[in-house]
Amino acid sequence: MFLTRSEYDRGVNTFSPEGRLFQVEYAIEAIKLGSTAIGIRTLEGVILAVEKRITSPLLVADSIEKILEIDSHIGCAMSGLTADSRTMIEHARVEAQNHTFTYEEVIPVESVTQAVCDLALRFGEGAEGQESTMSRPFGVSLLIAGVDERGPQLYHTDPSGTFLHYEAKAIGAGSEGAQTELQEQFHRDMALADAEVLALKVLKQVMEEKLSNTNVQLAKVTEQSGYHIYSKEELQEVIARM
Amino acid sequence: MDPIELRLPHTLQRPQATSNHEPITHSTEPIVTGTSVVAFKYKDGIMMAADCLGSYGRMAMFRNERRLMAVGKTTLLGMSGDISDYQHMQHTLENIMTQEYDMDDGQRLGTKSIYKCISKIMYNRRSKMNPLWNSYVIAGVDSGEKVLGYVDLIGTTYESPTIATGYGSHMAQPILRKVVEGREDEITEEEAVKIIEDCMRVLYYRDARAFNKLTRAKVTAQGVEITEPYSLETNWDFAESIVGYGA
Amino acid sequence: MSSLLSHEIGYSAPIEVHNHGFSPYVNNEGTSLGICGEDFVLVASDTRQSNGGYSINARRSPKAFELSNRTVIATTGCAADAKQLVEDMEQRAQYYVHKHGREMSTPAMAQVLSQLLYTRRFFPYYVFPIFAGLDAKGKGAVYNYDAIGNIECVSHYAYGSAAALLQPFLDNQINKAHQRGADTTAKPSRAQAVKLAIDAFTSATERDIYTGDWLEIFIVDSEGVHKLTRELKHD
Repeated sequence: MFLTRSEYDRGVNTFSPEGRLFQVEYAIEAIKLGSTAIGIRTLEGVILAVEKRITSPLLVADSIEKILEIDSHIGCAMSGLTADSRTMIEHARVEAQNHTFTYEEVIPVESVTQAVCDLALRFGEGAEGQESTMSRPFGVSLLIAGVDERGPQLYHTDPSGTFLHYEAKAIGAGSEGAQTELQEQFHRDMALADAEVLALKVLKQVMEEKLSNTNVQLAKVTEQSGYHIYSKEELQEVIARM
Repeated sequence: MDPIELRLPHTLQRPQATSNHEPITHSTEPIVTGTSVVAFKYKDGIMMAADCLGSYGRMAMFRNERRLMAVGKTTLLGMSGDISDYQHMQHTLENIMTQEYDMDDGQRLGTKSIYKCISKIMYNRRSKMNPLWNSYVIAGVDSGEKVLGYVDLIGTTYESPTIATGYGSHMAQPILRKVVEGREDEITEEEAVKIIEDCMRVLYYRDARAFNKLTRAKVTAQGVEITEPYSLETNWDFAESIVGYGA
Repeated sequence: MSSLLSHEIGYSAPIEVHNHGFSPYVNNEGTSLGICGEDFVLVASDTRQSNGGYSINARRSPKAFELSNRTVIATTGCAADAKQLVEDMEQRAQYYVHKHGREMSTPAMAQVLSQLLYTRRFFPYYVFPIFAGLDAKGKGAVYNYDAIGNIECVSHYAYGSAAALLQPFLDNQINKAHQRGADTTAKPSRAQAVKLAIDAFTSATERDIYTGDWLEIFIVDSEGVHKLTRELKHD
């Protein structure tokens, strides 16, 4: 098996005889090395939570940013090669602003997700008519949370360019355990405040370090206030409720 | 040795700016022209006529020009304006119809599609500031519906039960509006021929660029029929009573 | 030699203005108006197309169109440009449905129209559109534009050859201009709006040679677009 595989995993645009694109699959594997990120959708809004790996006591924790704003009504958490996400977030932000400029309305969450996924397969030699910008697939997975006229929504994207709509999703190193935990704990009509606590609880279980207000990030997207990232104090308040 | 200088006739010179101050110009006037096309709806389809003269300015230069053509089997096209631009359009249409035929899919372009296609060609050329200096009248029976449309060098389009281009819009259109409007489904072929010949006769009497050799065509659900060139009976007796005219 | 000299003394021959001989525009005339009601909008245009001179091209060449089941557009100016602009709008509306899985809202479409016009800033569409529809809350909205995309949301508007006849009439009847003590906040009812449109156009045909033949009235309400046709003078 390994031999066959090694013959077909060099070219990023070459299918194996079993019909697989190994480089894309490896990219999906890369996400499993990333720090855990969690998204939970409630009827009031969506919660995003990520762990920050503080690898050295000399590291300034605030410099790690794994939840970013795409537009005032859309946020995004990531796991994997976070450097790759810069291109995707940039694209999403431009797409969102373009939409507002052209249509004088905010972009739908699904459209922004689709726009990001359109980028995902633009690697390799480049298809006819479009310039290839990457030599390999993106090594990052995103949780895109937003609110539009269809209510609060949570999407998950992976390096193959597939996106799926979730009620609760965990990605990254601890995703397996976290997802099982979410399946058990999540219920559709839970309050946003409960989702905040659940997100941190699940993170805590899969984190190696002790959870504190410096090694996690929490954000919410709601109808009323749009995207909001929690301050240290707000985070501490949620931790106190755990 | 001096290089040989080749000078083309002024009408064939490439469009170019001759000094830094002049803008690039394409056609700024038509050269060899055809005058009016007259057309209207009648009971079975559409009747159309145009004379056979190609004028070079005021000179009656070419006396055997055909300005009515069939596009495919079911569409009739009439042209006024620059004849070389018309020949360019003929080539374009022949290419399009050949491509469609080569598809061999049993589909044929209907009159509405051909009308749209010609309109787009005309509008695109005007938008490049390089117009085809023509007015076209497009006629046919498309899915049982009589279609009669117009498009000119600006890309202006309209459909109407009666259409007359150029001088005909002043001389023939009033006659047609009086005789045809509201009776499009009653007029027999026989009457239609009489009406269109009356229009062409009036135009021959009054339009200095008209000619008494014309082709007439009809398009019905059965297809297009274009006549060979023929002449109309005219009466110049009145000339005798005009002082300074003729004898 | 003379050219050499002219460079030295900074003199250049006066720029000759050449007559191009071809104008890409023709004003096909005609009139359009839009009236905004509380929960409906009305847009009306005559259907006469003129050739820019004294000839009538066609008696029935519509210049107002339904763009979606909640928006309509009425045009005046160059018919060829108007046709292209309307087709562009239809295409953009359809593409939006494919891309975002829903119909474009009225304000979104209004913005798109403005931008389509502005993209042709240096070779403008010679078109003066009135765009109308219901917004997300079901309220009427009428927008008018200049040829290069300047956009304005108004209570009523008239464009075209009889605009100078219709506009003051509508100002008086809808905004109650110069009517002492009148309620200036009331919006016209649907029946009033239809009556105003018909009266305005019948009067216009008496004084404007470019307006006439047929009147097409579009009314947009929560149920969709309704179309009425009335005969105008054919002379």
